Order: sequence, then C-alpha cells, then structure tokens
Amino acid sequence: MPALLEVTDLTKVFGGLRANDGISFTVGAGEILGLIGPNGAGKTTLFHCITGFHRPERGTVRFDGRDITGLPPHRIARMGMARTFQTYVAGGDLTVLETAMVGCFSRTASPSRARIRAREILGFLGLADLADLPIRDLPVAGQKRVALATALGTEPKLLLLDEVAAGLNPGEIGELMDAIRHVHEERGVTLIVIEHVMELVMNLSDRVLVLDSGRVIAQGLPQEVAHDPAVIRAYLGEKYAARYLEEASP
Amino acid sequence: MEALRAAFDFSDFRPTERWVSRAVAAFLLVFPLLPVSSFATATMIQFLMFSLYGMGWNTIGGYGGQVDLGKAQYVGIGAYTTAVALIRWDVPFWVSMPVGMGFAVLWSFAIGYPLFRLRGHYFAIATIAASLVLKDLFEVWDFVGAARGLEIPAHRFATPDFVRLIFKEDVYYYYVLLAFFFGGVLYMNAFRKSRLGYQLRLIKDNEDMARSLGINVHWAKVKTYAIATAFVSMVGSFHACYIKNIEPEDTMSLDLSILIALMAMLGGAGSLWGPIIGAGILIPLKSYFKEWFGARAGLVGMDLILYALIIMVVSAVEPRGIWGLVERHRARRESA
Amino acid sequence: MDILVSSVVAGVLIGMVLALVALGLTIIFGVMDIVNFAHGEFLMLGMYTGLLTADATGMDPLLGIPVAAVVGYLLGIACYWGFIRFLLRGPMVAQLLGTFGLMLLLRNLALLLFGSEDRGVNAGLLVGKSVAFGMGVIVPATKLAAAALSLVSFAAVWLLMNRTRVGKALTATALNAQAARYMGIPTERMNALAWGIGGATVTVAGALIVNFWSVNPYVGLLFTMIAFTIVALGGFGSVPGALAAGIVVGLLMEIPGIWDFVAYATEWDWMMDVPVTSFKYTFVYLAYFVIMVVRPRGLFGWKH
Repeated sequence: MPALLEVTDLTKVFGGLRANDGISFTVGAGEILGLIGPNGAGKTTLFHCITGFHRPERGTVRFDGRDITGLPPHRIARMGMARTFQTYVAGGDLTVLETAMVGCFSRTASPSRARIRAREILGFLGLADLADLPIRDLPVAGQKRVALATALGTEPKLLLLDEVAAGLNPGEIGELMDAIRHVHEERGVTLIVIEHVMELVMNLSDRVLVLDSGRVIAQGLPQEVAHDPAVIRAYLGEKYAARYLEEASP
Repeated sequence: MEALRAAFDFSDFRPTERWVSRAVAAFLLVFPLLPVSSFATATMIQFLMFSLYGMGWNTIGGYGGQVDLGKAQYVGIGAYTTAVALIRWDVPFWVSMPVGMGFAVLWSFAIGYPLFRLRGHYFAIATIAASLVLKDLFEVWDFVGAARGLEIPAHRFATPDFVRLIFKEDVYYYYVLLAFFFGGVLYMNAFRKSRLGYQLRLIKDNEDMARSLGINVHWAKVKTYAIATAFVSMVGSFHACYIKNIEPEDTMSLDLSILIALMAMLGGAGSLWGPIIGAGILIPLKSYFKEWFGARAGLVGMDLILYALIIMVVSAVEPRGIWGLVERHRARRESA
Repeated sequence: MDILVSSVVAGVLIGMVLALVALGLTIIFGVMDIVNFAHGEFLMLGMYTGLLTADATGMDPLLGIPVAAVVGYLLGIACYWGFIRFLLRGPMVAQLLGTFGLMLLLRNLALLLFGSEDRGVNAGLLVGKSVAFGMGVIVPATKLAAAALSLVSFAAVWLLMNRTRVGKALTATALNAQAARYMGIPTERMNALAWGIGGATVTVAGALIVNFWSVNPYVGLLFTMIAFTIVALGGFGSVPGALAAGIVVGLLMEIPGIWDFVAYATEWDWMMDVPVTSFKYTFVYLAYFVIMVVRPRGLFGWKH
C-alpha cells in the first residue's frame, strides 16, 4: 500500500508544553486510521499541524508525495485533504444546503452544479430533509454532520474527522458509522478519525494510533492496541492499570 | 451566462417581497413624471446614490462581515478622476468612470492587502485611518486643487451632454443614476448567489472552516473589498458630474464613510434589500428633518439628534437592522 | 537646536494629556471589549464643562476640573445603564452602529446647546503665562499644568485599579468576566464603573485641554482617532501602555517641528518645500495603520 500521508518527527511546542513530541506515522491510501488518547494528548494539535493551521517547530508532513509542511491550510485543502473541527458551532445565516455548497465550490464555480452535488451529498448522509434549515438551528451533533458533508464536497483524498460522534446517542452513532463506512468504500476516501467513542473507532479502524502527552505510545490493530499495557496505563493511570492488568491476566 | 440568469432570477424571494420590489421599481421609473418638487428629486438622487454606496459596502461589510469605515476614500478617487480628467483633458464620463474604478481598485489592493490581516474593531478603525491619510494627502495636492477642491465648469458645455454627463435638469441625472441602480441590484442579486458570495458568508461565520475547505480567506476578502470599491468609485464619478464642485472635505470625509456603512447596517447588512431600505429611510429623513428644523433658529442639529436616536434604538433593539425587524416579525407570525 | 528641544518638550507634554484622553477608552475596551466611537464627544463635553464652569462662576478654568470629573462620571454611568448595556448582547456591528449613534447624538446636542462657533478660554490664572526652561525652551504654563495634572490623574486611576478592592474587582472583570461573575463580582456594575471612570478621565482631560485648545461641537472625532492610535500603540486594554503610547503620539504630532529643525540644520530645500504642518495628524493615522498591521498587540507588547 503506498503511503498517502507520511508524518515524520513532528513536534509542536506551546510555551513550555510539547503538545506534539516527535510524532511519526504513515497512512496508506484507502486506510482508516483511528487516533485515540486521553484528553490533552495532542490529537487535535496533530490535526492542526497536518492541515496547516499550526506550523510545527520540527518535522515534516508529506502528503501524496509532496512536502506540505508549513503550507497554508487552504493550499493543503486544495491538494485533497479535508477536515472537520472538534468544536463547530454556527452563528451565521447559511442554510444546511448552502453550507454544503461551499464545500462543493472548491471543485466547481457554478452555483447550480454545486447545488446538485451538495444535495446529493446531503442525501447520502441522511440530511436531505434538513437542507433548507439555517444551520444555527441544528443541534451540535447535526452541525457536525453538516460539517462532514461540507468536507466531503471538496472531494478529498484524505479526510480528518475530529470527534464527529461526540454527543450522539447509540442509534445515531450506528448511522454515522454506516455513513463513514459508505464514504470510505464508495468514494475511496482515506480517513483519520479522532474519537472518544470507542465503539466507533474500534469497529471502523484498520489501524489505531495512540497518543499520550504528545507522543505515540502504541500503534497497531484495534484489538492489539486495546490490550496494550501502555495504553491502559495512559487511560487509567498507573495504579488502576496495575489492578486492571492483574485481574485481566489469568 | 449562469451569472446573468442568476441576476434576473428573484424566485427565491417570497411573493410579497417580489410584489413590493416591483412596485418600488415602477415607482422609481415614473417618479420624475409625477408633480414633484425639485427638492424631492434631489432627495431621490441622494437616495439612489446612497443605495448604491450601500450595496457596494454590503458585499464586504454585510456578506463578508468586515465592517469597513473607509469607503469615502474611494468616493474621492472616483470623483477626482472624473473631475480632473474632464477639466484638464476633456475626457468623457464614460471613459473616466471605468478609469477611476481602475485606480480605486488598485488603491484598494494596496490598502486591502495589509488591512485584512486585522479583524473586528481593529479592522474597522484601520479603514478609518487609511481613508483619513488619503484625504490629508489630497488636501495638499495641488494637481487636484488641494483643499480648495475642483469645480467642473458646466457652463462651457452645451447641455444636455450625455457624453460628459453634464445636465441642467436633475431629471437626466435621475434616469442615468436609476439605470446604475437597477444594474446594481441585478449585480448584487447575482453576487449573493455566486461562489464568492457563499464563500464570504461562510468566512463571516467560521473562518477556520472556510480555510479547511480550500478557500484563501485573505484573498477572498481583498477581492470582495475591490468589488465594493469599484461600486463606490463608480458612484463617486457620478457625484463629481452631479455636484460639480468637489473638495476633500465633502467627498472623502469620515462622515461620508460612516454614513455609507450606517445606511447598510441600519437597513440590514447582508441582505439584498438592506442598503436600499436603509437609504430609503435615512436619506429622506435627513433631508426633510434638515428642511424642517434647520431653518428654524434654536433648533440647529435637531435633525441629526432625531437621526442619532433612530440609529441608537435600532442598534439596541435589533442589531440586524430594519430588515432584521421585518424577518423577526415574519417568523413570529409564521410560528403563531 | 532650540526648535528641536521645544518640539520634543511640547510633544512630551501634550502626549501626557493625550494619554489621559486615551485612558478611558483603554479601560472600557479592557473591561468589555467594546470600542466607543463617542469617546471624543465625551472629551468635547469635558471641554465645554471646564469652559462654562469658568464662565459661569468667574473662577479659574482649572477649577472646572472637578466639575468635569463629576459630569463625566455621571455621563459615563448614564450611557452605560441607559444604552450601552443593550448593545453588549448584540454582535460587533451593533456596537459600532450604536456608539456611532451616541457620537452623533452628543455632538448635535452640543451643537444645539452651545452653538457651532469656536470657543476658548481667554482669562485665567495660567493663561498667557509661560515658563522658561533655559536652552530657549519656553512652555506655556497651561500646557505644563495640564501635563502635570494628567499625570496626577493617571496615578490616581492606577492606585484605584491596583490598590483598592473595587479596582481589583474591575481588573478581575477585565481579565475574565465570566470567572469574575462566579467569584461574586457584580460584573454589570463593574462595566458601569468602567464607563464612569472612562467618562471621568476623558472629561478631566477635556477640561485640561480647553485651556489651550478651542472647542466646538465637532472637535471630538479628531481626539477619538488620536485615542484609538494611542490605545493601539499601547496595547488594547493596557493602562501603563496608554501613558507611554500617549507620549509617543504626542511626539508624532510634533514631527512638523522636528522636520523644520532638520530642514534648517541641513539646508535641504526639498524638505522645506513639503507642507509638513498639514500632515500633523496624518502621522498619527499612519501610525495606527502601520502599528496594527505590523504589531497588532501594540508596540510595547502588553497583552490585554
């Protein structure tokens, strides 16, 4: 599998805090990579560095064979990398359809063509009924799905999803999972998924990368990672992890 | 082609809005044929001019959400280009107007490029500062008449002169400007449905998201600023031929910049009708208040006091302006 | 040489007064992130207060200062409770629109009440007197007193903000209004207080300035722009920044004098041909533009 994204030794420092500390990994074309880790592990910072919103102090990001380190976000996006944001709360007056259209405008200048494409994507994500509502009238979970639809409008090769499932009920999580799988299979989009909803990330991902305190502490298949002592320590803390591991081992 | 169709397509407005706008258009067309005073015609010309200023402002200020308080400098560039060209080289209006727009757009790039690194209040104040610097320069620049300004020697030309846009009767000016006005409305109608229009509205709402979708936010703002500028400069050129007497103090003053922004904000920033409503209410009020109170001793400034109170009440009650009030009322009626 | 020194001294003195003009703007901005476009109009009212108190009572114009402080304080509080409070919930556009409205209102009220002609102080203890410093530097006594008193006002505000309970509450509100509310600080009242202090300092500045600057209802806008520049230069919301930046802006306004000195000293004719006095305020506007683009946090790097 050729690497679509190649991150090498990526380091981002805020004041004295190393939010990302020498992170290296690759994502192959067609893969779904889960990105997990406790709060403050540096997941969103990593997204910001990859997509150009932060400029890393050290390290390189290569995408589709080109070095994109330090490029501005819109140039990276135009190369075929889209993302959603952890917090997206709309205050404007755009409707759901119009928001999705803005994504499609990165591929066409024609409003009528953008409108057709946007309707198609909204239908595909089960948002067709909401098309004419102002986006600010949607609950946050709904807004995040609109953000996903908008990102898809750019027809990305790589899509970075930052906690799209937060705040959803189990039924909705199931629907979202189907939708993401659909995106992946039908459109051949490579995905990196930050998620706290383990059910989703463990079921979807081909491979999982675990961050803690800005470093990669484990990577591998979902089942392997779930049983990795280092990961359990990171999530539960030293003391409880020891107890848990004791109980788990026969 | 698609843009042209979009310009004439008002189908996404409600039937009542379409009927009202048709009625207003018809009224504007026949207005000079009615038995009206020359004062009323002059007021209507002011209304049309400020509607156009407001439409231009509305692209960047309304749809783009960047409160621009320096539009007067571009009124000045348009007005001075036309006046200087006519006085010195007898250049027709229809040539000097696009040339003026060209100068204004070039200047807007020079100013806009650094300016759009700023946001919010900082941006608004910087636009004022930039505009005042240009005005100060014009006040000492002898080529453009410095602080004395310029006067177009209208008596030298046989009127009506459609090439130089020199008329004796206001009614000619009225119809030329009305053509600009309808053109402006059509342009704005296409603009709000264009790629740039939608992108701007997302930028206003969420810049980071816009960036992540491949939009060069800075360039989109600079581009829109140039569009706004072209609009304003065009009306500035008209202003020169209409008023015939221009000086930095009235074509480039901060008061003018503020008035332009105020019209659009009061009417409803970011809506097609907003600037027209704003100008339609404020201009007649201003003219007639001045007429009523200005002449009476002891009531100097009374017109502007009432004017200020209206602005204050609207800003406190409904920040989306008068159009916002209309929409709120409509939403309430529909939910009831 | 004496032109140069006089220019610099004059710049520093006027700068201290201008700093006081900007102080209220920076406090208000710091506490509630609102830019008051009517700030210069407060100053204009302060100028009239100083002038009219002197006229009415026959006392020295400097005695109008406490009156101006009271008027400004009450005006600030009244504006907040009567109007500004309603703008805070709205977007920035509404705040701009609203404070513009306030500006127009105050300006035209002044026009209605006081008329449009220029008026100035022409009698008083210090008027017409001057102090010689040697080296050919002669400073009008009014400017010297104004600068000194504005420093005193600055010190008073600084003490109020840093040494009193209520001042600390105000600072807390400026740093984080929500947290301050959780700590039991009545932030609404703190906002009002910021407007009171802002109003009082700027009207005091007005009462000082009127001793050497004539007043008319339109004088406010120029000072609003100067105050914006000072606040931008000193860092939005920073009190010590305002003082330093005020002096810098005062010096900027004396560029024509310094220019003349260089022109005469070097005998460069082209410099003498430039009508530099016409650009007295242009330098101030230009400074705002350049500072904001190059260093949006202010020249001195204080964060708000």
